[in-house]
Amino acid sequence: MSAPLLAARDLRVTGPSGVLVAGLDLTVRHGETVAIVGESGSGKSMAVKALSGLLPAGVRASGEIELDGERVDPDGSAPGWRRIRGARVALLLQDPFTSLSPVHRCGEQIGWAVADRRRRADRVAALLAEVGLPADVAGRYPFELSGGMRQRVAIAAGLAAGPDLLIADEPTTALDVTTQREVLDLVAGLQAERRMGLILVTHDLRLARSRADRILVMYAGRLAEAGPAADVLRAPAHPYTARLAACDPPLGRRLATLPTIPGSVPQPFTVGDACPFAARCELAVDACRTAAPPAVEVAPGHLSACIRTAETTVPTPEPAAPAGAAAVAGEAALTVRGIAKRFRGTAALDGVDLDVGRGEAVAVVGESGSGKTTLARCVVGLETPDAGTVDVGGAPAGPRRVQIVFQDPYSALNPGMTVGASLAEALRAAGRPRSEVPELLDMVGLPAGYARRRPRALSGGERQRVAIARALAPRAGVLVCDEPVSALDVSVQAGVLNLLAGLRRDLGLTLLFITHDLAIARQVADRVYVMRRGAVVESGPAAGVLSAPSHPYTRRLLASLPAAD
Amino acid sequence: MTRPSARLRRLPATIALSVLLLAAVAVCAVAGGLIAPHALDQDIYTGTVGAGVDGHLLGTDKLGRDILQLSLAGARSALAGPLLVAAGSMLVGVLLGTVAGYRGGLLDQLVGRYADLVLALPAVLLAIVVAGLLGGGYWITVAVLVVLFSPSDVRLVRAAVIEQASRPYIESARVLGVRPARIMFRHLTPNIVPVVVANLLLNVAFALVALSSLSYLGLGVPPGAPDWGRQLADGRELLGDNPLAAIVPGLLIIATATAVNLLGDGVSEALDRKVAAR
Amino acid sequence: MNRGILAFAARRLGMTLVLLLVLSLLVYGLMFLAPGDVARNLLGTKNVTPEALAQIRAQYDLDEPFLVQYWHWAGHALAGDFGTSIRTGGPVGRMLLDRVGITAAISGLAFALAVLAGVPAGVAAALRRGRWADRLLVGGSVVGVSAPGFAVSLILLYVFAVGLGWFPIYGTGEGFLDGLWHLVLPSVALALGLGAFVVKLTRAAVVRELDQDYVTFARSRGLGRGTVLRIVLRNAAIPIVTSLGLMVGYLFGGTVLIEVTFALPGLGALLEDAVLFKDFPVVQALTVLVASVVSVTALLVDLAYLAIDPRVRNRTVRS
Repeated sequence: MSAPLLAARDLRVTGPSGVLVAGLDLTVRHGETVAIVGESGSGKSMAVKALSGLLPAGVRASGEIELDGERVDPDGSAPGWRRIRGARVALLLQDPFTSLSPVHRCGEQIGWAVADRRRRADRVAALLAEVGLPADVAGRYPFELSGGMRQRVAIAAGLAAGPDLLIADEPTTALDVTTQREVLDLVAGLQAERRMGLILVTHDLRLARSRADRILVMYAGRLAEAGPAADVLRAPAHPYTARLAACDPPLGRRLATLPTIPGSVPQPFTVGDACPFAARCELAVDACRTAAPPAVEVAPGHLSACIRTAETTVPTPEPAAPAGAAAVAGEAALTVRGIAKRFRGTAALDGVDLDVGRGEAVAVVGESGSGKTTLARCVVGLETPDAGTVDVGGAPAGPRRVQIVFQDPYSALNPGMTVGASLAEALRAAGRPRSEVPELLDMVGLPAGYARRRPRALSGGERQRVAIARALAPRAGVLVCDEPVSALDVSVQAGVLNLLAGLRRDLGLTLLFITHDLAIARQVADRVYVMRRGAVVESGPAAGVLSAPSHPYTRRLLASLPAAD
Repeated sequence: MTRPSARLRRLPATIALSVLLLAAVAVCAVAGGLIAPHALDQDIYTGTVGAGVDGHLLGTDKLGRDILQLSLAGARSALAGPLLVAAGSMLVGVLLGTVAGYRGGLLDQLVGRYADLVLALPAVLLAIVVAGLLGGGYWITVAVLVVLFSPSDVRLVRAAVIEQASRPYIESARVLGVRPARIMFRHLTPNIVPVVVANLLLNVAFALVALSSLSYLGLGVPPGAPDWGRQLADGRELLGDNPLAAIVPGLLIIATATAVNLLGDGVSEALDRKVAAR
Repeated sequence: MNRGILAFAARRLGMTLVLLLVLSLLVYGLMFLAPGDVARNLLGTKNVTPEALAQIRAQYDLDEPFLVQYWHWAGHALAGDFGTSIRTGGPVGRMLLDRVGITAAISGLAFALAVLAGVPAGVAAALRRGRWADRLLVGGSVVGVSAPGFAVSLILLYVFAVGLGWFPIYGTGEGFLDGLWHLVLPSVALALGLGAFVVKLTRAAVVRELDQDYVTFARSRGLGRGTVLRIVLRNAAIPIVTSLGLMVGYLFGGTVLIEVTFALPGLGALLEDAVLFKDFPVVQALTVLVASVVSVTALLVDLAYLAIDPRVRNRTVRS
């Protein structure tokens, strides 16, 4: 058998604060797709940056890297890398909005990597055609193109020098679902045509399963599990993989409680001689905490770094009671009529009607630019609509009747105030006593001692819990959640969603849930509104809309999702 | 890239030196009368003498005043005025900039136009014209500089406030019904402190240069008062007889302004790191 | 496309004119805020007699309402007639014309020196971030920014003119080469602070661009150091050009002190004399002149923006 396209052994990456990747083995063959799956801090991005010799200043790599059997110095500043980058290995970055120079025309940028100046124009035209873009894109600037088109330009630029190995670091995370699918199909097609190796870095297990031949699961800078894609997801050997797969909410049915993993992902350099997952693992025994488990072969080509591989089971969640949470029929909690809003001449909302009953959970789904966030902001009074009305409980919306939780947990709290001070301020504004702070923390599942902490001592999930507690302070009946979990790791998302479901049950809270993620909408909502370009295209019971959509756009959204289980 | 420990050891060296120098200047500014009691003693019979003559370590100026004592006494106007200018203009900047940035509206428009107007002319030139034509002493000049410096501070604070105001923690406070005054001065102001402090120190250095430029031209400080800018103007004619009469206050201005700027850079770097760690 | 740009230019020009109008109004009004009687101030050192005062009042329309006076003054100023100097009795316009050459020469030389030395130094520092060359340049630029031009001038004078005798101490010299020789020290003194500023902002702009994703992506495609640097510089040029425009104002502030120190008969020295003598017509003319130069430069920078930043061009064309 010929040498693999890429073979890395004991790849280590070390940054200023310590180890980021602690010894990774990886092989990629010609024409093969390998997915590296991991949550934040797993070291997946650093690993592939090391494989393209592009680590940032202050971060060093060691170990063995071989390309087609030829040794490569892992130090990115070594002279050999100039010939390797582009011509043999190309790296595609996550954000097509920042990976192209804003002041150069697309054709020029693609042409830079074409060595022969006289043939540049022809090559650029050929590459544009190959990625399915019209020839006139060559004369346009990146800011004139949509996200999907920019990522296509980036792909064309990455392929210009004809690499054998394409590394794509979350190439579609910044894109809408419908575009994601197109870009991934394009990459797969190009890979097959050119017989390239492809490393696909992603946080999305479902995406990895639908695109990869083999999957590597990383956790806190270490390999957890590696093997053929089908095996890793059908019969996960590492408890982390099993639990992570279970955390991914299904689209087909609603679960009573979403499976979660308690705690949060540790930083790679805080893990000593131990299994990094031990603290969150229910199978953990003393041996897990005293030595790093070696990777053992559980089946041909299937490795797992766990000493209790045999006991690993996939948790089976129970489906929800068919009725769902009880909504008080007839009583309106939130009524939106004919709401419209324009920003600099462009309509963000164009006559939207929305009804939410008392105790009901309603999801608004849509892609970027659909107007879903503007709708949420109008409902809570952060934007004043140009036309239309928002009524809360039968009266015009007033102060503190509706509360909101935002997407970004890292700027959700004032960094200079303790958690207790933030909550106390919310209580004071609503005319409630400060003594309710411990009660609020308890409602969101945090110990009372957290009142003394500052936001920077909290994980993303914990911050989002505090933000929910703050929104609960005025005892408003309606809570608007604007993508509250999309910035969180999959293993943490489920915990927050379960919390919201519990609050709804216990407090009779009404939820308006804004999300781009159809599976999450399925888990959270009784009814769903699908928005596109400032208007509602379809609405109805979540089960109906998401399993038997009537509008072509909803159908297209659903078809774009990576193949479900 | 250097090792972090090496960087840590190197960084405080410049900062420590700056602090040391500024502390010395501050001591002279406060206790100038004790340290240099004979700063203004004139001796027209001696006139200008060079370094070391008649017990004058750095020589004398043309009125026979001791350069060393005069320079020590000059620390007061070198520190007091610039501090006042920087603090006053930043106070205006924080108040107007926060309100203009958060509330917008007419005040924002007015503040914006005022800034356009003042920034159309270099501050030093405007100060020369205004202070020169209106006359008035040192403190009037300080007040004029506050007026001229504040527009750029207002702009700076306004931009920082606008950047913060769209963040979820501010919008949450709005939805919770927290009073605007509280949002502005309890939430926004503390979170723009890094920008404010770094710019405050920058302004101190800039004000020191501006004030000494004015006194060099004979504006601001009254004739005969101990002031480094004045000393330079007087020393200009003495480059042959006693060059130290001009060189010493010149180096003092440069060193003091450099120390303040280094401190400003250090502080803003440290605060940036603190913000990044959040 | 061109329509949008023309409309933008016209709007921007209109704003500049309004700004200059208001500014000249304020500068004209300054005469009335100054302590003492306006007519007596305008008389200067001439004998104060009722006839002289009456003549002054008539000459400056002082009995008319303020806005009418301003209107007369502005009308004449637009035609190039800035009145007569109180100190010399000569026409102000002539005085400015006589002196503008020296100021333009010093400022131009200083600007060229600062940019030609500062930009490459800033780029070099950014590329060697954290290493000794960078620290040296950054440290030097902090000192440079902190050093007032007149203090630097005196030190330069002492070292190179008095001490080493390489350069003349005062004056303008005879003929072109000697004249240029006399302008070397003043220009260097003015360029030092400016150049330090250029180093700082160039370094900051280049460092910011080097950290962008598009640099990583360009490197990942195997582009050479030269190509990557060219891409980075093209992007960094946008903030640098803007700031260079703002420095024109700084130049005029600094040149006053430099000209006074080197006893050069330029506009800056004229301003000092006029301010100390309360020669209002000269001060008014100079201030309006400098404001015009600064505002027109700002206008040109905004137009340059259109040329070098396609994003701004696009926004302008669409709006």
